[in-house]
Formats: sequence, C-alpha cells, structure tokens
Amino acid sequence: MDARTKPATRDEGARLGFRLTLPAQILVLFISAFPLLMQLYISVTDWSPLSGVGWWNAWEMWNSFANYTDLAADTRFWSALQRTAIVMLVCVPAEFLLGLALATLFADDFPGKRIFYSILLMPMMVVPAVAGYMFFMLFQSGGPVNDILSSLTGSPVTIAWLSDPTLALIAVMVADIWQWTPLMFLILLAGLVGVPEDQIKAATLLGANPWQRFVTIVLPKMKTIIIIALAIRVIENFKIFDTLYIMTGGGPGVATETISVYIYKVTTQDLIWGYVAAIALAILIVLSIVAVFAMKRMARAREVAA
Amino acid sequence: MKRSVPFEIFRYAAILAAMAVTVVPILWMVSMAFKPIGEWSATGAELTWWPKQPTLANFEFVFGHSTNDLIVALDHTALKPILSSLLSAVFGTAIAMSAGTAAAYGLSRFGSGQNLPLALIQLRLFPPMAVMIPVMIMWAFLNLNDTWWGLALIYGIVTLPFAFWLMKTFFDDMPREIEEAALVEGCSRLRVFTRITLPMMRAPLASAALFVFILNWSDYLIALLLTTREWVTIPVYMASLSSSMTGQLYGAKAALGLIAAMPPVIMGIAIQRHLVRGLTFGALKQ
Repeated sequence: MDARTKPATRDEGARLGFRLTLPAQILVLFISAFPLLMQLYISVTDWSPLSGVGWWNAWEMWNSFANYTDLAADTRFWSALQRTAIVMLVCVPAEFLLGLALATLFADDFPGKRIFYSILLMPMMVVPAVAGYMFFMLFQSGGPVNDILSSLTGSPVTIAWLSDPTLALIAVMVADIWQWTPLMFLILLAGLVGVPEDQIKAATLLGANPWQRFVTIVLPKMKTIIIIALAIRVIENFKIFDTLYIMTGGGPGVATETISVYIYKVTTQDLIWGYVAAIALAILIVLSIVAVFAMKRMARAREVAA
Repeated sequence: MKRSVPFEIFRYAAILAAMAVTVVPILWMVSMAFKPIGEWSATGAELTWWPKQPTLANFEFVFGHSTNDLIVALDHTALKPILSSLLSAVFGTAIAMSAGTAAAYGLSRFGSGQNLPLALIQLRLFPPMAVMIPVMIMWAFLNLNDTWWGLALIYGIVTLPFAFWLMKTFFDDMPREIEEAALVEGCSRLRVFTRITLPMMRAPLASAALFVFILNWSDYLIALLLTTREWVTIPVYMASLSSSMTGQLYGAKAALGLIAAMPPVIMGIAIQRHLVRGLTFGALKQ
C-alpha cells in the first residue's frame, strides 16, 4: 500500500512544484532572455527611437561594432566609471567603519537601547529620492550646513556646495554615507550579537584587553557577515543614482556623473540607444563575471551562517 | 558584562552625536514643510531653524489650493502622483509576493526551479539602468508606458528576488510536522499549501510584503524612465515643484517629501526584526 502511494505523491509534488515555480520562471525569462537578445541586436546598430524605423528593422543601421570601439575611446564613459569607483572607495569603507563602530556600542544592553536603535535606522528607510531633495536643501549656500559651519567657525560661511566640482562630489558622498551607514550598522550588529559570549569571557580571563578580544575573536567570527555586508553595499553603491541625480544632476558639468547618471543622460538626452545598449551589455558582461565569483562565496557563506 | 563609568559616558556621547547627525536632516525637512514662504530663506535672510509662524499652506498647496503666498497654479496636484505611487507599489508587491511565495514553496518543498536562486540574485545585481533600453522598448510596444500598471509589472519583477528569498528562508525554517500530518490525513499537496501552510505563515508573509512594498515605494529611476505625464510617481512629480518663474518651491517639496517618507519609515520600524534577513537575501537571520 505504502509502496504504491509514495511514487504517486512524489509525482504530485513534482508537478505542483513545477506549477508553483512557473510564474517566477516566466517573469525571469520575460525580463532576461528576450531583452538581452534585443539589447545585443540593437548594440551593433545606430538605432535610436527617433530614427523612424522600428527596433526590429535596426539591421538597416548596422554599424559593424562601431559602438564598441567608440566605447573604448569614450573618455566621458571612462571618467564616469572612475568617478563611480572613487565614490565607492570613499563611501563603502566609511559606511563600514562607522557602522561597525556604532554596532560595537550596541553590542550589550543599556538603557534606551531600543529607541536609539530605531532612530538610528531611520535614514535607510527614507525614500532615496526624498533624501536627495533633503540634502539638496541642506547644501544650499544659505542652508543649514553652512549655518552650522558659520557658528562653528564664528565667521559667515557661504559655500556654494553643489556648484563646485569637488564640493559637489563630497556632498553627494555625505548623503550616501548618511543614508546607508544604518544598513551596515544593522547587519554588523546582527553579526556581532551572534559572536559566542563564552569565548569572549575566556579571552578576558586569559588577560586579553578589549582591542585584542575584538581583533582576535570578534572580527574572525564575523568574517562572512562582513563580506556579505560589504558585498551588498558595493553592489548597491555601484548603481548610485537617485540621491545623486536629484542633488546635482551629475553636474556641475560632469563633475558628479557616475555610470548610472551617464547612461541615463545618453538614454534620455542624446537618445542614441544603440550606443546605450552597447554600454549596458559591456557592464552586464563584466558584472556577470563578478557575480559568478561572488555567488560562490555567498553560497559558502550561507552554509557557514546556517 | 559590567562596563566602567567612563565607557558609559563615552557610549552615550557617541550615540547622541550619531543621533544628531541622523535626525537633523530629517528634522530640517519637517521644519521646512511647515514654514511659510517668507521663512524658506536661502541667501540673505536669516536662517530659521524652526518655523516662527507654522503653517499648513505647503500641504494645501501641493493638493491644489493656492494661498496668499503661493499664487502660482500647479499644472497637476500631488493627488494623482500619490495615487500612482500607491497603485504601482501595491500591485507590484502583489505580483512579486504571489510569484515569489509560490516559487519559494515549490523550491523549498519539492526542489523545483533550482535555477531560480542564482537567476534572481543576478537580477538584483545588475543596475536597472543597464537593462532599461529593452524594457522601455517592450513597454512602449505593450502600451505600458506612462501607466501605473506598467510600473507595477516592472516593480513586481524587480522586487521578485527579495520576495522569493525572504519566503524561501521562512519556508525552510518552518517545521514540517503539521504539513506531513495533513498529508497523511489525505489532503492534497496543493490544499496543504493553500489551507495550512499559507495561513500559518501569515505573519512572515505580512513582513515580506511590507519589505517589498518599501522597496517599490522607494523607486525613482524606473518611474523616471517609464512615466512622463499621466502617471508620474511622487519623486518624479516633485521635480515639477520648481520652475524658472517660481524658483525652488522648497516648502512644497518638503511637505510632499514628508508625505512620501512617512509610510516606509513606519513600516520599517514595524518589520525591524526581519530587515536583516530581507536585506541579506536570507543569509543572515537576526
């Protein structure tokens, strides 16, 4: 009896599993396979939405890979990429160190912990675009940032933050750090409370000072969590757009133009979509290679964390 | 562990400093939202940190009432953008949650769709900007441009990875005994899923849905590319609150920004327990 019903229910399970996963599979296919092929096709043409022919007839405008050779020589693209890297190299470590410092302060209980914790998490919940408008107001020359600087220095400060190339870049990085340090804090704190207390106690009994305990026990235990937190921020920071675009529009000039802003401008202002498709594909290919490496690490990390 | 008094003093000082940096920008927006136009300041005039004459004029203005100070007429009031944000985020969440929950259950219980975890993380990895050209072409072809349902569809796809991963970890953690007992009783597997598992998972489902809703509500870039006039969302609409004639309508922007910022902040606090799990694709459970 048992032997006869079991294969039947396993079949039933497989069928149901297939049907349950079908909608997700369709959505993934709908957003990956067809768009990728379309992107590949358009990327070898001069097609633009204003060219008067439908995208499927883009072959009439075949340009024998000129988009890709143009890309290699596009200084605006390479400087946007460089700027994206600079923003990432400043913001992610800053967010990490600030988040880690805050997390260590929250590792044990103290009066008011819960309320402080909730308030400190607020920035990451603010809609990024709204944060952009917020920091746009804060960095006006007659705005609060200059007002605070004035009262600190004792003389009136009227810096035009967002119209100076260097200061504008600093301002958008400040906004990013303000918004995403809480995420680092949240994840690192979750990791920190998972470090076994008895090991720390044992080290204390052996005479390790807090700094030694932190470096030799806490940090190694948190390794996978730190990698996950950094990976998340690197991925998201690479896409940086909302706050930055609202604060500066990529300006003054191209002073704060990151990859996403650059692609956005070519898409909506220059309208050369064949070229945009080539840029996008190049980025997708590079990221896919990174993704495969990262996924292997993440999979291992998940096994360790579980 | 007992801590020394100097440490406690240091701790509170550091936390208070962090709190100040966290809260001041938000409070500035709140303050701006209630300031009459004369106090919006900018150059010359003295900066007022708190409105001297608090007013609701900014809120009335974005909903279409012109006031004595703000006599400019708005082309569109903020009502439709709010509706657009709401509809696209809610239905986007519905799409992501239904497809994601079903797929997560299929994988967790029957091992179907082994390719999905990786495919969905990859989907999350790519900058939306790098896949938007085909999406814009497809959406134009399907007549989905500048509609809230078009936005809802792309939101549903973009946040599917989060819905899927969150629900997968919840299903993986769930004890199987009750499901197995129901199977022995003769329930079909589909009935077990819809009548037993889903009702039991009401709380995790709600948390995951709120998490996905926050993500959808927070979008700017996709709406900027896919909506132009009729169904612009709140962040896109906010750009229209400045013109060469009026300059920046700071107060109006702050008022609308405050309205947009409220729901995610409240929901975020409500699902604080699950934030880590959601943000790390289930790699970490707080």
